[in-house]
Amino acid sequence: MSLGADSGTYLDQFPDEAKLIRATFYSSFAALFVGALMGLLQVLHRVNVLRLIPSEDYYSYLTLHAVLLVLTFTIFFLVGVFTWGVTTSLDRGLEDLRYTWGWYGLMAGGSLLAGITIIGGFFDAIPLSAAVLYTFYAPLQAHPLFYIGLALFIVGSWFAAIDWFRSWWAWKSENPDERIPLPTFMALTTAIFWIISSLGVAVSVVVFLIPWSLGFIDQVNALLTRTLFWFFGHAVVYFWLMPAYMLWYVMLPKISGGKLFSDPLARVVFILFLILSTPTGIHHQYLDPGIAEGFKFIVMVNTMFLLLPSLLTAFTVVASMEHGARQRGGTGYFGWLRALPWRNPVFTGMALAGLMFAAAGFSGMINAGMNINYLVHNTWWVVGHFHLTVGTAVALTFMATTYWFLPQLTGKKIWNKSLGLAQVLLWFIGMTFMSNAMHRAGLAGIPRRTAEPQYSGFDFQPAAGSVAELNMQVVIGGTLLFVSTVLFIAIVLMTIRGSKVDTLPANGYAETLSGPEDAPLVLDNLRLWAGIAVALVVLAYALPLASIISRGGLFGPGGSPSPQFIDTVVFAGQAIADSLTGVVR
Amino acid sequence: MRISRGGLLVVIAVMVPIVIELRTVFVHLGVEMSIAQTGLLAAVMVGALLAWAVAPEVRGRMRSGEKSE
Repeated sequence: MSLGADSGTYLDQFPDEAKLIRATFYSSFAALFVGALMGLLQVLHRVNVLRLIPSEDYYSYLTLHAVLLVLTFTIFFLVGVFTWGVTTSLDRGLEDLRYTWGWYGLMAGGSLLAGITIIGGFFDAIPLSAAVLYTFYAPLQAHPLFYIGLALFIVGSWFAAIDWFRSWWAWKSENPDERIPLPTFMALTTAIFWIISSLGVAVSVVVFLIPWSLGFIDQVNALLTRTLFWFFGHAVVYFWLMPAYMLWYVMLPKISGGKLFSDPLARVVFILFLILSTPTGIHHQYLDPGIAEGFKFIVMVNTMFLLLPSLLTAFTVVASMEHGARQRGGTGYFGWLRALPWRNPVFTGMALAGLMFAAAGFSGMINAGMNINYLVHNTWWVVGHFHLTVGTAVALTFMATTYWFLPQLTGKKIWNKSLGLAQVLLWFIGMTFMSNAMHRAGLAGIPRRTAEPQYSGFDFQPAAGSVAELNMQVVIGGTLLFVSTVLFIAIVLMTIRGSKVDTLPANGYAETLSGPEDAPLVLDNLRLWAGIAVALVVLAYALPLASIISRGGLFGPGGSPSPQFIDTVVFAGQAIADSLTGVVR
Repeated sequence: MRISRGGLLVVIAVMVPIVIELRTVFVHLGVEMSIAQTGLLAAVMVGALLAWAVAPEVRGRMRSGEKSE
């Protein structure tokens, strides 16, 4: 919905919220820069081109790279995007800015705590360490501050989600018969599955990992913490992706010069992600021996269903782009492509991100297939895959749209748009080199997550080219990606340093060819969809979790939970359950 | 030019994955290409693209040159 040419920028409309979104974006960009630097160091180290870090610290660098990029960079950016989407589409500010700054403070404090703990691992003199990777499940153990920091960060994101709900509830009481505006609908459905899915990791961190790292309990059930992590660990992928999808739906058609093809289809897509994104996590555990094959098969089917909303998105977004191109005078079967605004980095970055995501979808199908997953599990293939999803579909969309958001939030023009175009193209080329080589290396069996991938007396045999060529490709790609990041940060900094102008476009988002009036009312019944999502999660996880706990114990096989009160609580619970069973019989 | 400079840059960027993937495809068809040959193929493809893009301009200049003579 375009808010009209005279409505001004977002900064004019919501100056306080703009300040908050600027803070989330700047936090995100700081994490991006440090995370990208860690990525370059790893690439150079792993392929033995330049070794600036000791191999024994590799896990700490890898943890910092992953936590900063896939949690801090993405989530700080997306809470800003969703806040923009909710306030713009409801045309109202947030309910209580003190509350809003509170969740930002929790997230910032949490990420600082986790980041400092990881960095502590680089120095022997500092008694902090968190070389546990982004997945941070047992048996690897971090300093308690790492887990506490992550818990604060996640709780902060929950409060952000509640903030969007508060805005919607207030708006709904004033507009009881109105349909939920599309960007708000997208933020709310994403928030629901985020809260459902992150409950898994919250239980893992609060009940097991923090008490374990503090020494309150001797051991944990590693498979249980792993399963609880992946309960959240796949859904978080969609938490990163949904804001990118939202931007493809509400921003890309506008930038293309047209309208969104179908509002109802977009709603269906977000509902499908709400109900399907969480009961799929076990597909990351196909090789775990403690989970029965039948459960894995169910999860594989759920995962394959997730292709549907992505294919719907591809259709809707490309149709919207084509509509935009034809409005701009484009003609022919493919000739319309030339009429798209390729000189605009906002458009080009998002379009290329979408293109890369198609490739990521193909490699994702390989990962999701139970039998073929065994071929690529724990190899560099997987790293190549998620550098296309979160590393391109999400990151490139976020960077490209920054060139639209930053003027809206600061009232200043982008410093150099041509350099912005070069930046997004460099990212695309760099990622092509890197992820292609990683996929091919993975097919040859080259492992991920190691500083020393070479084995003595054994050479990996890629299907095409040599390992040296693949390594060279990764170095070229990683270097181009870092250069692109530096360019991005430079453009952001120079834009912030610039002067305010009055010629910026008004805040708004794409209008629709088929609007919400064409969508059945049931699509807006968030309680129904949340209920179905919870039911599917229970179906997918109840039996595997019960089986893991019954076989391995809540706190690990053969272990006695300590302190003793936990034993007592478990014993009392068992006694009550037995008594109730007796009464029922 | 048949295409804007920005558009040309984008098409060249999109050629990068095509060239890289083509090399792998050729291997499966029994054709091994070295890095130098792959680079040459990329250069030919970019050259052909540039020729296609600037051809109308060059032709126009040649015609105006003929007329002025």
